[in-house]
Amino acid sequence: MKIKKKIGIIDLGSHNLFSIFQAVKNLKHYVKIINKSEQINKFDIIILPGVGTFGNAMKILNSLGMAKELKKFSKNSNKKIIGICLGMQLLLSEGTEFGKHKGLGIIEGSVIKLDKVKLNIGWKQLKINKDKSYNFLNKNLQKNYFYFVHSFYCSPKDKNIIKAKFEINDTLYCGMFIKDNIIGLQFHPEKSGKAGLIILKNILK
Amino acid sequence: MKLKAFYGLPKKVVFCKKTLISNQRPNSELEFRHNIKTIKKTVKIDNRGLSDAWKYSLEKKKINYKDREIKLLELLDMHRGKHGKYDCIVPGSGGKDSCYASHILKFKYGMNPLTVTWPPILYTSYGLKNFQNWLKTGNFKNISGKRNEELMKFLTKSSIKNLLHPFQTFILGQKIFPIKTALKYKIPLVFYGDNEAEHGNPIADNVTSLRNKSFHTLRDKDEIYLGGIKYTDLINKYNFKTKDLDVFLPPTLSSFDETNIEVRYLGYYLKWVPQEVFYYSVKNCGFRPRPYRTCGTYSKYSGLDDKIDDLHFYTTYIKFGLGRTTYDVAQELRNGHLTIEEAKKLIQKYDGEFPSRYFSEIMKYLSLKPKEFFNIVDKFRSPHLWKKTKQKWTLRHVAYK
Amino acid sequence: MKKKKFIRIITRLDIKNGFLIKGINLEGLRVLGDPYNFSQEYYKDGIDEIFYVDNVATLYGTNNLSKFIKKTATNLFVPLAVGGGIKCIKDAHRAFEHGADKIAINSAAILNPKFINDLVKIFGSANVCVSIETIKYDDKYFISRSNGRDIEKLNPFEWAKKMQDFGAGEICLTSVNQEGLGRGFDLKLYEKVSNIISIPILAHGGCGKYEDVQKVVKNSNISGVVLSSMLHYQYLHYVKLKKITLGNTTYLENNFDPKRKKINHIRKLKEYLNANNILTR
Repeated sequence: MKIKKKIGIIDLGSHNLFSIFQAVKNLKHYVKIINKSEQINKFDIIILPGVGTFGNAMKILNSLGMAKELKKFSKNSNKKIIGICLGMQLLLSEGTEFGKHKGLGIIEGSVIKLDKVKLNIGWKQLKINKDKSYNFLNKNLQKNYFYFVHSFYCSPKDKNIIKAKFEINDTLYCGMFIKDNIIGLQFHPEKSGKAGLIILKNILK
Repeated sequence: MKLKAFYGLPKKVVFCKKTLISNQRPNSELEFRHNIKTIKKTVKIDNRGLSDAWKYSLEKKKINYKDREIKLLELLDMHRGKHGKYDCIVPGSGGKDSCYASHILKFKYGMNPLTVTWPPILYTSYGLKNFQNWLKTGNFKNISGKRNEELMKFLTKSSIKNLLHPFQTFILGQKIFPIKTALKYKIPLVFYGDNEAEHGNPIADNVTSLRNKSFHTLRDKDEIYLGGIKYTDLINKYNFKTKDLDVFLPPTLSSFDETNIEVRYLGYYLKWVPQEVFYYSVKNCGFRPRPYRTCGTYSKYSGLDDKIDDLHFYTTYIKFGLGRTTYDVAQELRNGHLTIEEAKKLIQKYDGEFPSRYFSEIMKYLSLKPKEFFNIVDKFRSPHLWKKTKQKWTLRHVAYK
Repeated sequence: MKKKKFIRIITRLDIKNGFLIKGINLEGLRVLGDPYNFSQEYYKDGIDEIFYVDNVATLYGTNNLSKFIKKTATNLFVPLAVGGGIKCIKDAHRAFEHGADKIAINSAAILNPKFINDLVKIFGSANVCVSIETIKYDDKYFISRSNGRDIEKLNPFEWAKKMQDFGAGEICLTSVNQEGLGRGFDLKLYEKVSNIISIPILAHGGCGKYEDVQKVVKNSNISGVVLSSMLHYQYLHYVKLKKITLGNTTYLENNFDPKRKKINHIRKLKEYLNANNILTR
């Protein structure tokens, strides 16, 4: 029996929440856009999407009282947080875009500027670290491409949480991390076609 | 306040509700008699605000083109291969219409058309390329009219001065030269393209009507005007030779004796959608649109081989308040390709745009000073159409208000 | 070993009055059907990105795609770029709110290059694409605005560099001369531009065969190709026809063939490219 999850998507005042909203809706879940911190706890899963800059996004999260709520939320093992792109980066301890900024600190680590290219935009494959606890992470997924658009990458302190990597000019970077109930995706699952929707479907389970 | 209307144009300006053309638009001119005193016959718009052209476009939707094609095949069967090497004539200069007509007659219907061209006064580079591509891709034989260039220049300049109609002699040649060629080579079938203006008549001219036209014109040379100047003055006053002027006159009566000539519209038999004709000619005849928007309108695929074309439409704007955009949108509205709102926006944006691109070149070519040209222009602004406020001329009536 | 190139396969849909239209040399408004149905079919068949252009927006000073973008974005899970008549920040916001991932700017940038800078500061380089239309005339290249109508005395090479300097995330370069003819890309154009700028370049205009894509990829450093005629003229038979009330429908009336066997041209193109050492999604 499929249990309908209550999924909340945080509105950072960024554009195009529409796509992630539609993607989740398409997977037949109950989904709402959240712009008040009080709403956060009502949901089972929070999606932190991301477009914009690290410093600015943290400012907004802090001013809306969402940062505090999210940290509390993350400690509840029955709840889940999914960070996408900038959202994934915000979960870390600190960011370095336009100076040093404090992140949510839910995952220990830093957000660092890409050095090989200015902007990683386009389609890349993932190198999957097989993990028995997550059987959707299999070799089949490796032939798919996922859509990336970012200039910074996540460097979590604990490398074991990195479940998938992507490559730029022979260097590998963190493409996805999963630590218990905290998931981070550097690519946009809602923009990566059917493969992206499969990943989204699995992490929302 | 009663305003004077020049050229016998209707004093009250009325626009067709469906095509935005006004009742100031003249119907075809009998160019030989065209002088400043000529009273123009104009487009009819009925009391419901509908023009004849619009009403005809509704009729056109009911036409059974399968039947029409059968009629065409019958006509073509009567002529195919029967007149020596070439069995029909397609007049044109490599524009989309002549490309389409000649190509489809040859490659779909198995005819062998002779292409006949009355060259533009001043070829554009891309127009010339289209002309060359047209002949090359279709492997067409072409006969191009030759005329005394000094005379042509003189007549063009005179028609601007006397009639503000730079294209008068060009239009004349365009109509006469193919007929003369048909008679000379004894090819009795001439195909023009779209029959838009003729409201359902397949036949533009036959030997009788052409003979009559020649008869009336040549009977009394005193009545002939070219460029607004009397024929006899052109000989006696300006010393042009009869043999040079001859090329602008209709065929002699005797030339009709041997050929039962017929001028038909291909657009009667085949559904003529200007845009589709454009696509066809690009695909099959090497036709390319202008690299940029035509001056005075929004499109790129019509009337692009003569530099004077832009100037011509500027003069229609001055004389009748109708620029190129108005003519173009009227056609697209009749074909259901534009909405009225879009048409109005386009007219407001582009109609009457000054033809700056080739203006200086044309003035130089004609040895006409721009100041002189603008003085002439102002003389032709009919008071019932134009008003002058603070040194600026504006139209009293526009389609978009 | 030489690294294999990865190419994005993108399709561009020109939309007027809510219908998909297709011209030649950016002229002519032949209607081919319902763009929503086309985009759904392309997505199913594996297109990487979709690019919508309202190509009379600048002509009429309007901006009509919003409802349409939203409808498409509801069921599309690959990037959607939108262009046509975007001339101020408000227009850009509207496009993003309705589901666009990227905006493409042309005419407005030519009239005010700083506009690109303003957009990039707010929305980020990655989301701002500059569309360049280039016309070859008398053996020289010029750029144009308003969908090929008004030519400018700038060349696309200088212009592309300038737009890169102003922060554009990528350039979509259309060869107006080749556009709609299906006779191949202007190879020299892309070769030259890809030697001048470093941001991604998308080639658009003239693709007729799978081979054409391979040629332009081998010959230059482009990131992707944008296909229009090559796909639309095939897919118009596979896609559900909706009632068309306005526009030049003559071609569709005479040629629509619902019995035609469906071929997934996008997959076939990708397979062809893979067989020729070009990577695709």
